[in-house]
Amino acid sequence: MRSQSTARILTYSVCLIVSLLCAPPLSFSGDSLVVYSGRAERLIKPVLDAFQAESGIAIQMLTADSTALVNRLRMEGKRSPADVFITNDAGTLERARELHLLQAIDMPGIEAAIPQSFRAPDNSWIGLSGRIWVVVYNTTMVKPDALSSILDLAKPQWKGKVAIPSAGSVYLQTGVSVIRETKGDAVTKEFLRGLKDNAGSSVYGKNRQIVAAVARGDVAVGLVNHYYIYRHLAKHPDAPIAQLLLDQEENGMGLVLNAAGIGITAHAKHLAQAKALVQFLISTKGQQMFASVNKEYPLNANVDAAPELLPLKSFQVARVPLSRLAELRDPTMTVIEHVGLR
Amino acid sequence: MTDATPHDNPIVLELQHVTCSYESGQPAIHNISFTARKGDIISLLGPSGCGKTTTLRAIAGFESVVEGTVLLNGTPVADGNHHVPPEQRRVGMVFQEYALFPHLRVTDNVGFGLNQLSAHDRRRRVDDMLSLTGLSEYGHRYPHELSGGQQQRVALARALAPQPVLLLLDEPFSNLDPDMTYKMRGELHDLLKKTQTTAVLVTHDHEEAFTMADQVAVLHQGRLEQFASPETTYHLPASRFVAEFVGQADFIPGEIHHHVVVTEIGDLPLPQGYQGSNQVDVMIRPDDLEIRGSGSGSARIETRQFRGSENLYGLRLESGRLVHCSESSTQFYALNAQVELKVKATHTVMFEQSRNS
Amino acid sequence: MSRTRFRFPSPLIVVAFILAGLITLPLLYVIVSAITADTAVWRRLWTTRIPELLFNTFSLALSVAVIDLVLGVSLAWILTRYRFVGSTVWNWLIILPLAIPSYVLAYTYTFLLQRNGPLEHAWQMVAGADAQIFSPFSFAGATLVMSINTFPFVYLLARSAFQNFNISFEEAARATGASPLNTFFRVSLPMIRPSLMAGLFLAILYVASDFGAMAMLRYQTFTYAIYQQMTGRFDNTAAACLSLFLVSCTFIFLLGERWFRQRSRFYQTTGRFRKPIPQACSPLQTLGFTGVLTIVFATAFGIPVFLLVQWTMDALAAGELASGFMGYVWNTISLAGITATLALVCGIPLAYLACRKQTWASLLCIQGAYTGYVLPGPVAALAVLVLVSHLMPELYGTVLVLLIAYLVHFLPVALQGMESTLHQLTPNLEEAARSLGSRSLRTFRTVTFPLVRGGFLSAWILVFVQCMKELPATLLLRPVGFDTLAIRIWLEASEELYQLAAPPALLIVAITIPVVFLLLKKVQEPVKRKA
Repeated sequence: MRSQSTARILTYSVCLIVSLLCAPPLSFSGDSLVVYSGRAERLIKPVLDAFQAESGIAIQMLTADSTALVNRLRMEGKRSPADVFITNDAGTLERARELHLLQAIDMPGIEAAIPQSFRAPDNSWIGLSGRIWVVVYNTTMVKPDALSSILDLAKPQWKGKVAIPSAGSVYLQTGVSVIRETKGDAVTKEFLRGLKDNAGSSVYGKNRQIVAAVARGDVAVGLVNHYYIYRHLAKHPDAPIAQLLLDQEENGMGLVLNAAGIGITAHAKHLAQAKALVQFLISTKGQQMFASVNKEYPLNANVDAAPELLPLKSFQVARVPLSRLAELRDPTMTVIEHVGLR
Repeated sequence: MTDATPHDNPIVLELQHVTCSYESGQPAIHNISFTARKGDIISLLGPSGCGKTTTLRAIAGFESVVEGTVLLNGTPVADGNHHVPPEQRRVGMVFQEYALFPHLRVTDNVGFGLNQLSAHDRRRRVDDMLSLTGLSEYGHRYPHELSGGQQQRVALARALAPQPVLLLLDEPFSNLDPDMTYKMRGELHDLLKKTQTTAVLVTHDHEEAFTMADQVAVLHQGRLEQFASPETTYHLPASRFVAEFVGQADFIPGEIHHHVVVTEIGDLPLPQGYQGSNQVDVMIRPDDLEIRGSGSGSARIETRQFRGSENLYGLRLESGRLVHCSESSTQFYALNAQVELKVKATHTVMFEQSRNS
Repeated sequence: MSRTRFRFPSPLIVVAFILAGLITLPLLYVIVSAITADTAVWRRLWTTRIPELLFNTFSLALSVAVIDLVLGVSLAWILTRYRFVGSTVWNWLIILPLAIPSYVLAYTYTFLLQRNGPLEHAWQMVAGADAQIFSPFSFAGATLVMSINTFPFVYLLARSAFQNFNISFEEAARATGASPLNTFFRVSLPMIRPSLMAGLFLAILYVASDFGAMAMLRYQTFTYAIYQQMTGRFDNTAAACLSLFLVSCTFIFLLGERWFRQRSRFYQTTGRFRKPIPQACSPLQTLGFTGVLTIVFATAFGIPVFLLVQWTMDALAAGELASGFMGYVWNTISLAGITATLALVCGIPLAYLACRKQTWASLLCIQGAYTGYVLPGPVAALAVLVLVSHLMPELYGTVLVLLIAYLVHFLPVALQGMESTLHQLTPNLEEAARSLGSRSLRTFRTVTFPLVRGGFLSAWILVFVQCMKELPATLLLRPVGFDTLAIRIWLEASEELYQLAAPPALLIVAITIPVVFLLLKKVQEPVKRKA
């Protein structure tokens, strides 16, 4: 008698669970093109919206940390709903390629649009927009000749005057990778220790905040990606800020240049739509959006950067290939953790 | 009706027309006055809600006095606008539930109020108190590891340790079983007398009040009905309430004729200076009567309670009233026997007749 | 009932064992992958991370504990021992900070405490134009945010301890000559120590397992570091190692708590209980108390919520409410609802088992089900992630994984409530079930269910609220297109888009407030019974 009633309760429970589970769909992608994005929604959504409006292809986006998305793609394997992976770091894209998470894109026009140094040899990832890591300075507080190398920022006279990004920033990680590759671990660690001391509590999660802090005069200089300066200036034309390009001397280290890019996942289920998106993003129209809205350097050689920007060709960039960034990443993290940047 | 026993000891505690309001949630008291001399044990006696605990708390300083004055050693400690906080009154208190600090060992409980002493003096004083209360072996224990009687002794030792001018005890025996109560009453009485401690003890048990106290203050509905020695309180109660509260009392109507009170069980002497009406109720205590001869008589034995040393008989009078009479337990009368009653009291306690008697 | 015959265990118990196994399995996977990790990983963590994380986590927990203690005890003392205009209302208001998720509080404070921000300006009016206030991204900032978020735990426990305090103890101390202050420190405080400790343990556990606020303030504790290792590295081994370390620490901590609780249990000696009677206050005292309460309330609830309201109105006025807002609400509510229901359904057999005569097997089973209690969100997520990737990779990326993680994480919340409810029916639960006969279901409906309804409902609500606020596991495991309110807050707030993060935050706070009051009522119930 008892077990009969228990069984009945159990049956009810099972029914309940099953019915509840059926209520929300197990997968939310449906027919949409699924984009895994490691870029801030604010920077990528306008471009995707434009694509959606033009092509009529619906987009579902999942925003998360770039590395977490790579981990996720790996774990999902064949079942991944993702069609496209967009991120702000070429190193991450290269790592995804190495892990066979991306597929080669065979599409006319890519070679013509994007220079070879900004894409994988087999086109499994394609750079879309470039950004340089620069110093932003407050023009009322600092003379432009006060600094010649990024390493100078670790000198004691900058104590309390520098704003830096947090350790979680991909830009910082890329920058540190380049410095390590050029100058070696010992110099890098010493630089980071000095930088950490000088920055004190002026560690910011977002480049936008660093630019704002420099504009307000809270700090004299800050390390940012160039386009945050120009986005700020577009809103506040009178802000006393400017960019400083360092390490430009003969045989110097050069600027850290990184690319945000896109790849089609190995198991994409909406290949045609994904290709359409790539096509759109490398097209003049898509590239112009990166240039005018985001103030990034369009990587399509036929599209000009925003007029206020120095041309990409006019300065010296670090000779560390983008594809090297992937392998440099893990030891760089260890160095950063070792110094104790936060 | 205050018959202060004259002695020369200085007055330790004096209440002058003390009134406390109900505001604090405790029963109110009105116009309470009494004094205690050094070494006296005063008992505040009354039913629950009569204000005896309020009076105690007013003396301790836990209740504020609205009117009147409380004096300790001649110094006012509380009146309508002035209030010395409890910790400055040097009054020891033993709580009904002892309130032993559960987080402290016995020695620390006893030494709690000895902060101002040096460690050495404190230890000595605690040891003295423990040996005085017979607890020397229990110093390292926690309160919950002690029996009820031991806990009470710790509470007593703690209250006495700072050498208070006055010790207050709030129903100290109510948490003990009857055997223990009996034993502890004796112990406490001896201890208080030995240490010459002035004490005020709250109880609702008249037997306890009588065994312990030199003076009994009977409270009723927030008023002091009588303040007198136990004997006086018993034999010469100031009110019908006191009469009934402190022991078995029966009332029979009497009429005054030529300086004699005439009742249905016989004539009684009229107290000197009586000036009231002629119709009175006479209080009869069981030991005021004796049974004379059986077989004939106007009273019928209706009940009998055997109480060890005595028998308490309930007797139905001709008028239908019931009176009680105690006889030595060797004297035995059968139920329903007709007997004759004789008054053996040498004094008469009577009250003006109330309507419903 | 003879014990000699072998009886097949009842299906309910089998189910309970299976459930407990499923709940414990993820953690076991994490432990295994941490133990089998390359020693190089351990060495790296030991030299670069663990000492700093240990120091950060401990120092933060300790300073939060001290502030919680001061705030919680003094507020509880004021509100139980004094009577003044509004004191009953304050009783309700002062626990409202519990309704704000830590990460929401943290993000309002990144605004308030920023350079040249509102608080710095206010401070400059007092201390001169050059005065600086501490950064939100500092030890002081983290301490502030976590202490104003957690002090109600200590407050609630101190309050009920003070209310159940036999006032005779204090009077006894006063009568032996101790001043009120002396009495407070030598008698009242030591005597409520067990309650304070319980409150502190709760607060410390909360600090150690908090992810949201720590991430917003970039204060490196174990929990945050685990998340960073999961999202910043290409494999989860380091995260698993840190998790194992954290879980072991928590386990030791909990054992310590239990040991302490048993050791410090006080035995009230017999006797009557006299409740403390709140004292009427002079106008000056009223002013002082009201001032203190206002400051604490404004800091911990008033100002943050005011900001949220303002930002929400800005966002609405600018038409910036995210287009999918109602979708996020629906995602959040349906997910939380399903989890709460599942937690109850899974909880029933386990709670039932817990209420029966304890055997070592059932004890193991119940303790297993409670493991989620010691798992911070990122660890629970990691555990489920590792498990799913090994056993059922096809589930990854579906809402099921998220549900499993929630269940592992929040089942203990449900279990606690249900266990105590079922305990009330224990002695005759089984006998009743046996004697019910064919009308068992009817009896269940008419007798048992009404008895447990209240307790089960409050367990459901508590799980619901916890799920609604959940951040780290959702961040790591949500399916594509399945953002919850908490995720939206996180995404917008980490871009410092205050206005956009405010509407979902305000909604969560609004839903949580009634639940906090429910909690308060539950805390108060035993008091009423005693008084």
